[in-house]
Order: sequence, then structure tokens, then C-alpha cells
Amino acid sequence: MKRQIKSVISQLALASTLFVLAVSTATAGPREQAKRMHDRLAGVPPTEAVLSAMANEIANGDAVAAANIAMENSAFYNVTLKNFVTPWTNRDGDVFAPLNDYTATVIGMVRDDVPFNEVLSGDILYVGDASLGLPAYSSANNNHYEELEQRDIDLKEDLVRTTQSSLTPLPPNATAGVMTTRAAAEAFFVAGTNRAMLRFTLMNHLCRDLEQLKDITRPPDRIRQDVSRSPGGDSRLFLNNCIGCHSGMDPLAQAFAYYTFNEDTGSIEYTDGQVQPKYFNNESTFPFGFATPNDEWNNYWRNGRQALVGWDESRPGTGNGAKTMGAELANSAGFAQCQVQKVFRNVCLRDPVDAADRSQVTTMVNSLTTGGYRLKQTFAEAATYCMGE
Amino acid sequence: MNIMMKTITRFVPRRAAQVLGAIATVTLLNACSGGAETQVNPVTSLPPSTGYNGPAPATADVQSFKLNVWDNIQAEAGCGDCHGTDGQAPTFARADDINLAYEAANTVVDLTSPEDSRLTTKVGGGHNCWSASDSVCADLMTTWITGWAGDLVAGGGRTINLEAPVIKDPGASKNFPADATLFSQTVHPVLTQYCSECHTSSAAVAQGPYFAEADLETAYDAAKPKIKLDDPATSRLVVRLREEFHNCWDDCLANANEMQSAIEAMANSISPTEVDPTLTISKALTILDGVAASGGSRYEANAIATYEFKTGEGNIAYDTSGVSPSLDLTLSGDVSWVGGYGITIANGKAQGRTADSKKLHDMIKSTGEYSVEAWVVPANVSQEESRIVSYSAGQDARNFTLGQTLYDYTFANRSDVTDGNGMPAINTPSNDEILQATLQHVVANYDPVNGRSIYVNGELINIVDEQGGGSIADWDDTFAFVLGNEVSSDGLFAGTFRFVAIHNRILTPEQIFQNFDAGVGEKFYLLFSVSHLVDVPEAYILLEVSQFDNFGYLFNAPHFISLDDTATFSGIPIQGIRVGINGSEAPVGQAYRTVDTMLDSALFEELGQPLSSLGTVFAQEQGPEGDEFFLTFDVLGDNVNVRTDAVPLAPPPPADLDPVADIGIRTFEEIAATMAQVTTVPRTNPDVQATYELVRQQMPSEATFGGFLASHQVGIAQLSVEYCNALVTDTTRRAAFFPGLDFNASPSVALGNAAGRSLMIDPLVDSIVGVNLTSQPDRAIIETELNNLIDRLSTCGNSCSADRTQTIGIAVCSATLGSAAMLVQ
Repeated sequence: MKRQIKSVISQLALASTLFVLAVSTATAGPREQAKRMHDRLAGVPPTEAVLSAMANEIANGDAVAAANIAMENSAFYNVTLKNFVTPWTNRDGDVFAPLNDYTATVIGMVRDDVPFNEVLSGDILYVGDASLGLPAYSSANNNHYEELEQRDIDLKEDLVRTTQSSLTPLPPNATAGVMTTRAAAEAFFVAGTNRAMLRFTLMNHLCRDLEQLKDITRPPDRIRQDVSRSPGGDSRLFLNNCIGCHSGMDPLAQAFAYYTFNEDTGSIEYTDGQVQPKYFNNESTFPFGFATPNDEWNNYWRNGRQALVGWDESRPGTGNGAKTMGAELANSAGFAQCQVQKVFRNVCLRDPVDAADRSQVTTMVNSLTTGGYRLKQTFAEAATYCMGE
Repeated sequence: MNIMMKTITRFVPRRAAQVLGAIATVTLLNACSGGAETQVNPVTSLPPSTGYNGPAPATADVQSFKLNVWDNIQAEAGCGDCHGTDGQAPTFARADDINLAYEAANTVVDLTSPEDSRLTTKVGGGHNCWSASDSVCADLMTTWITGWAGDLVAGGGRTINLEAPVIKDPGASKNFPADATLFSQTVHPVLTQYCSECHTSSAAVAQGPYFAEADLETAYDAAKPKIKLDDPATSRLVVRLREEFHNCWDDCLANANEMQSAIEAMANSISPTEVDPTLTISKALTILDGVAASGGSRYEANAIATYEFKTGEGNIAYDTSGVSPSLDLTLSGDVSWVGGYGITIANGKAQGRTADSKKLHDMIKSTGEYSVEAWVVPANVSQEESRIVSYSAGQDARNFTLGQTLYDYTFANRSDVTDGNGMPAINTPSNDEILQATLQHVVANYDPVNGRSIYVNGELINIVDEQGGGSIADWDDTFAFVLGNEVSSDGLFAGTFRFVAIHNRILTPEQIFQNFDAGVGEKFYLLFSVSHLVDVPEAYILLEVSQFDNFGYLFNAPHFISLDDTATFSGIPIQGIRVGINGSEAPVGQAYRTVDTMLDSALFEELGQPLSSLGTVFAQEQGPEGDEFFLTFDVLGDNVNVRTDAVPLAPPPPADLDPVADIGIRTFEEIAATMAQVTTVPRTNPDVQATYELVRQQMPSEATFGGFLASHQVGIAQLSVEYCNALVTDTTRRAAFFPGLDFNASPSVALGNAAGRSLMIDPLVDSIVGVNLTSQPDRAIIETELNNLIDRLSTCGNSCSADRTQTIGIAVCSATLGSAAMLVQ
């Protein structure tokens, strides 16, 4: 049977091509708009009943309601959101990585309309329902989530909200949203100097790599001892490049001073009051540099040109530990803008290209920040904007 | 001139237990305690032949004088020619009575500070120096007197005389005008023309700083740190092109000249301006106004060859160990001097004569052990088989070699348990990446009991020398000592040497740490006067300053100090210290701007009240002789300079991008989920799941058309076949999906007419393509194609297999399911 099937594959490609050529270019009506909206949000086509219901909403001028119908499809959670989030959970941006607690937590937060600006600070975790007979959540492995995925369990129905502090060794004040999930720890707290956690969090949640954030005019007093001030014997490299990132990065990454990922146990570790040895790696490289005494962080990017990130003026810009630092990041205008940009790209399949697109992004950012940071609403607004005309 | 002075005894080693008596002339501050033991320096030099026949030394100190100083100034320095018996006073080199020579010598030496001895300063000033370099004579004399002083220096204290500097105000320098007009007429056009593909916020891959931004003010702000008005050629914008070949638009030199011309045009239109009068500033200093703070705290009792690279010019690196014969090194190839002591080998070497190198052979063989010590800056971590310090004859024969391979230090020693090339060598663990392209202190020890070991930055690296110790009796005395290369010039180590020493005893861990802790290079204490700002007599901010490399200064550990010991004060606020260079605050490196404390004389330590323990680097502008420094303060006493960071200008809206498709394709899991939904086959079906795992990464991961490949379509086809197979071979499921279609009948029966074919085609098209959707492919065309496919697959006459209709069903299903009608979203 398989051999026979393979013999016809070459004919299928021809048919596929012809179908593309035959696509109509007619102006989209409510049914076409509903179809695209459903495709983009759920990743799968709608049933005829759903399509009709959505088309009716659109025809009645309530496209957001139509989008909400589309997001009732479990594939919005099992497929769209999962693949939206998975690249954030590993260093390679690998979309094929297994489902994990980072991804599941974001999916759950979106499903339950948990304010998304808590994603980097909350004591929050989503696990599979106990009735499913899954391996119990473990700080030491990812089995719980891999079986959730392998059994194609409906994440819309069967994800349950809980707290990290109840299932992991972390005390409540040491939890910091997805940053302190096992997946994030395994990816970004492993070995190294913990700067990776900050860098990837900035990339994934402020849509800025250090290249975009660097500012050589910030005071370098918190740059650790492991950063050479004269790489290869040339201090110009430090003064023109290294300092630009490290002067802002190191005082923020100090928030993670008590965290590491233990590769032997496979678990995140938190040593309250005890700075991790990794913060003193290569301390003799520049012994006159900063020796980390605690987990006090400062946001030096509040001043200088990175003030344009739009930091929350009601916050002090300093604190202790990952929880407050995560809140510092997640309450910036840059965070909200980043979430909207990511959703826009995910739904519209492109970046904003013109003034109309940029205006829409601004509108969506305002909607997100004034509407309780409900990311599902952002998806609905993006789908409405890109449903075609 | 103010002649206030404070003398501070620093203990050498820093934690020495002994306290030196009250030698200082003005004030003596005791501070440190504990630390390494001291010991009498052994005599390591080969005894010169002096032919002394006078009375025996009366005391041990006279004997020490003879062995360490008198023998050397007779044999090497030739001082006896003038200051000998019946010669010019003082007759410290007289040969008739060593005790009288000792008395005379005591009038021209300072045993607590050998480098300040009259003997040292005279020869250092060129007085009958017997070497080509006056500094070498001074260093040798210092070494000899230090050897005489023995315990006194090694275990006692070295005095630092903090002398009040000449008071002067900061001078004028060129500053950037507030208005960007001049910039817009000179530099900005060049930047926007050539740099805007990257250095703008709207670039495809935006690279900060955005000095090529179309918005003038934004570009101006970003370009300022990259422009040096006082010396346009050293502007970063120019250096990047001329020396680093960074994205030149055609010829780098011509491009650099064009950029430099633009900056010069800008600079020439700017008159030097005074220091911002709104700033609260200290008095000014150059680095040469400082008090020397270097040297003295190293353990060098067994050094038999020492290179401090102080000369700064010429092609000889002098051996200043004071141990004859001097093993001076000849610099050849691309070797340059480094400010603040050092040489950089880009493509060359520093090699001694074989006859002089024999000193190492003779003196190390006599002890059977040795230590190679170096302060080096590897230029990179990509060079391999590179010789840092070597005593060898080529690639295949050596006595010892300290080398680099990527991130590892390597150490080869020839003994009776290795081959004649010192192999196998030991390496620092590669995974630990011990070697870094930064200033490092590395020590390689060898002794016959423990074999080889390597210390980096004072710490023992965990390496097992599997060969262990052995005899070095087979060392070859015809080899040559060389730095930065193999003697055969085929083992280049590109990097900088700040210091090298060979010891004919191993250094103990304590001694290694002591030498690491002592640091390297020329250091100064700069006293920035602030008496005019606070009501404290003789008030200064003290900073330890050194030339960090050829391009920057290291400022370290600011203290507040009063040279008036009677001064008492408290509650004086000090905040926001910045370093100014040549009339303006340095834009980069201001680590002390976060200082916020209260001055209190009760908090004084050895060097005053510490304000910060940090060091920071500032860019060199006009060189150590030209750069003038001063400090500014946000708050100092009653002087308050309120500053607010300038509000950055928002970048203008980016230019519109080219229109892009507003449709795309489903990605891998969307494809699988779609197939599952439209076929009603669950994703957990074992066959489907297995195929999905197989082709998952072969299907599209991006929703844009741009990256869609033929291989993607093959993966999609495979998965669609699997889903359709699962659908059609499941009798229950297919009955529900294709109501009325008899899959057990032959094609001619089941699909022999339009009605039969509709039973197969319609459910598929309805489900996969949808109905009444103008955005989907035309239904009639699809049906025609599928009918043609059925026609082709039904052409089997009477030889059709029993499951032919089922096979056709799978094919028609797959053709529809794997098509663009499913894929495009």
C-alpha cells in the first residue's frame, strides 16, 4: 500500500501548483475574512458552522467577537500559542523544542486573561490537570509537559493554574514568572554568568538585543571583574563596545545573583543571600572591577538614550532579586510594544510596513496597557486588522 | 609651591609582619599587618672576580654590601675607576678597605627606598652609565642595593611621599558646539552617505550608535563620542576605517582620509573652549605630576633574568635582574613598545644571544628547579603552538617553553622523563578556557620532585603532570632564550609582554600571589586638589593612575586625603565624581559618578578615606605627556551642581518598507493540525504520529512564502498521504467521511460515473477547500484535476487489484489535502 501511495506523490505536487494558480482574487467578504481570521488564530480552517457564526459577527461589525470565536478552537492554544512561545524558551530560538513549563505558563496566562505584565514576576505556573494521569510536575525533568504534548492533550481545557512556590524549591519572593520556570533555568541559568537570562529575556520580551540597548555613556561601576577592560591589549575595544552593553546589563543581571541551574539534579537552585560562584568567574581578569555582594539590581538604562524604552516612572528603577527586576522590564512601554509586535507578526504574517500599520500597533499597545494586559485581546485586534478587505 | 608632604609606609610584601622603624621624615602611617614571611635574599649572581685583598668585612652588613653592591660596581659598573681608592669622594668603590667603602656608600644609599638612592638617581640621570640605557643602569643599581638591604626592604616598608602638586587650573580644549549645524555641514553628510545602511534606527539590522541617522540631532548625539576634535586622526570614526577596515565603501585609507578631512573641517571651525564654568572642578594634573607608586613589592630573590621593558625605545629589551651576564634581548620583526612598560609582538621576536642564554642553563641546572614568570596579554585565543617564553633551538629541541594553544597555556620541560623536545607538554584544561586575551600573570614552575605546574593570576591550575619530576642534567647550553616566537621564527605568539622573569628556584604559592598582587607597570598617585571647594586644609582626591595599555589609562581606588595631619572634619557630602580630560568630562568610563558618601576624617585609612574600591579605564587622547586630568563633582561640600540627563530625542518614524504579501503558509504543526481536523483522523494515530515526527522538521517553520522549498512540499505530501491512508483504510471513519462510496468495488463500478466520483471528491473539497469562499481555488478546476487523476489511476483494465478504489481514494485525498488549498492561509 505504501509503495503505491508513494508512486502518486509526484502527481500531487502538480495538482497543488494548479490550485495556487486558480486562487480567486475577488474582494474578501465576511466569509473570506472569517476564514483568514480563523486560519491565522487557530492555525486550522474553521468548520462550516464556525465560519458562518464568525461571518455573521463580521457582517454585524464585530470582528473582535468573530476572533474570539476562532480562539475557542483548541488549536489556538495547542498549536498557535505553543509555537508562538516555544522559541523564547531556548537559546537557539528552536520552534521544535518540546512543550515545557515556560510555554505552558504563557499559554495558560493568555487563556485566563492573566495580566501579561506579570509574566516576568508572578508566582505562577500552569500544569496538566491531575486527572490526566500525567507524570507529576518535577523540578528535575520535563516529563510532565512532554507527555502532555505527546498525548495531544487539549491545553485549552486541561491546563490548571498553580504556583511555582508550591511545586518547586523556590520561595514565593524568589519566583519571577517564566524566568524562574525550569525550562528557562535550564536554558539560561545553566553554567555561564547568568547574563544569558537577561539577554534572552530582553530579546524575547522587549524585542531588543543588547546591540540595540547598548549605551557607552552609562557608568561602568557595576561591570564585573570577568570583563576584560583591554581585550587583546586594546582598551579601545572595551571603551567603544564592551562597556556599551555591560554597563547596563551587569547591574540588571545582578538580580539573578542567587540563581543557577544544577546540571546534575536538573533543577533550578536558589541560594537566598548567597551569591552564586559563577558571579566570580575569572575574577582576576580585571580585579578592580565590581565584585557582586548581593542581588541588588539597578536599571542604568532609565537614563541616557535608552530612556526611550519607556520605563515606568512610578517604579524606583532599583530593587533586589529577579521578581522586581522582571516587573521593571514588564511594565515598560517597550515590553508592551514588543508583545504587540510579536502578535502582529504572528497573525498578519509580516512586520508593520507603513504608517497605517504603525498606527495600528500604537492603538494595540494602548489597548493592551489600558485593558489589563490581556494578550488574547491583542490577538483578536491583530486578526481583525489583518482579516483582509 | 606648596611643600606639604605626607610619607606613607607601604609594606612590602603588602601584609608583611614587620614594622619598619620611624624612617619617614614627616609622618608615618601604619596600616597593614600580617602576611608573607621574609627571608634573606640568597646570592644568585655568578660571583664577579673583584680581586679584593683588603681587610675582612667587619660585620654581616658589610659583607652583604660587598656581595651585593661592591662586587657589582667594581666588575660591571666600573665605579672604581673614579670612586676607588684615593679617587673622588665618596669613595664607595675603594678597594683598599671594604669597611671604609661601606661607610662611604652609606652616605649615598637609602636602604628603605633603593630606587631613591643617590647612587641610583645619579646613574639613572646618565652619570657614567655603563649601559646604553640610563634606566637600565638605574634598575641594576636598584637591584644591587635592594639585595644589600635584604630584610630591610623585603620585609620592611617602602615609603611613599605624597607631595603636594603644583596647583593649576584645567586648560582649555575644543568642545562640541550645542548646535549641530557645523556637524551637519561637515561630518554628517559623510556618515549618512556611507554608514546609513547599518547605523540608523531604521536599518534592516540596526547597529547602534545611530550616528548616520537622518535626524540631525540624533546623529549628532551619537557621533560625539566617536569624534576627537583635538586630534581628528584618532577619532573612532577614522580609526575604524583606517586601522580596522570596518565596512570601507571602497579604499579604506582614502575613506579614512575623507572622514578625517570632514572631522578636521569641523574641528578647525571650533575654538578651544574653557572648562564648563558651571562645573564644580578640582585643580588639574597630568600623569607626570603624580607620585610614583610602582615597584618594590615583588618577590625576586631568585630572579636570574628580569625584563621590565621600561626602555620604551630602541631594539633591546634589557635584563635588569642584576645577575651577570645580562641576558639582553634583541627585538626583531614587528615589535613595538607599549606605554607604561611593555612590548607588543605582532610578528617578530625578542631573542637573547646563545652565550648569554647559557646563564639560564648554568644557574638552573645548579638548582635543578626554576620558575618562568610573565605578565602577558595574548592578542587572541585563536593562535596555536605559540611560544610565549622559550629556551630552545627550534621546533624539535628545547629546554623549556611556556606557550599558548587556543585557550590553553602549555608548558614543556626537557628532563629525563620527557623527550628532547620537552614532550609531552602539560596544558591548562581546555574547557576551563584559562587563557584569555587580556592581561594575565602566568607562572610555570618546575622542580624535580613535583614536576611541572602552572599558576595563572595567582591561582594554581589543576593539572596533573603525569611525567612528574626528573633530572634536567641533559639540558643543552647551546640553545637561545626567546620571547614571542620560536628561535626558528615559526612559533609566533602575537601579544604583549609587560614583564618577564626567570627564577632559578620555584616560586611558592605565596610568592606567586605576592607578585600577582603587586601588579605590573608604571603607576602614579595623582593628588587632585579640592582645598578650594571644601573647608579642609590640604584636601585632595587621590587616585592611583597607570597607563593601562597604549590606548587607555586605569584610574583606581579614589581616596579623600588631607596632607595636614591635624585636619579633622566630618559630614561633608561628596557625590558624583567624574574625570575630566583636556577640558571636558570623559564621555565614557565614569565609574565614580555613582559615588555618594560623606567625608569624615575618622574614616581615614592608609591613603585617606576610600571613596570607591573600583578601577575604571579612560581613553587616552594626547598621550601621557599631553593629557591633563581634573575631577568634577555633582556635590562636594557646599558646592552643588545639579545635572539631569538629557532627554533623548525619539527617532523619527522609520521609512515605509516595501509591501509584502498579506497571505502566507501554514507551518508544520498547523499543517498537521489542519490535516487532523479535516480528515477526522486524530493526531495521536500511531502511523500519523510516527510520520509527523519523521517529517516535522522537513515542513515549513516560517509562515512566509520566501522560504518555501520543494523539500517542504515533499514533507507535506508524505504527511497528507499518511493521514489519507489512515482515513481511507479505516472502514468506520471512511464510511462517515465518504457516505455512499463503496471502496470495495472496482474503480469502474465505484467511480464509473459522475455520481460515484462526487461521492469521493465532494466530501474532500467541502472539508479541505471549503465552500463559498472566493479566496479559495476555483472548485470546478479542482474537480477537473481530481477527475483527471481518477482517470489516470483507474486505467488498469481487468487487472485492477481488489483495493484499487481504496488506493485511488488515498491518492485523491492526498492530492487535495497536500495542496495549496490547505497550505495557504
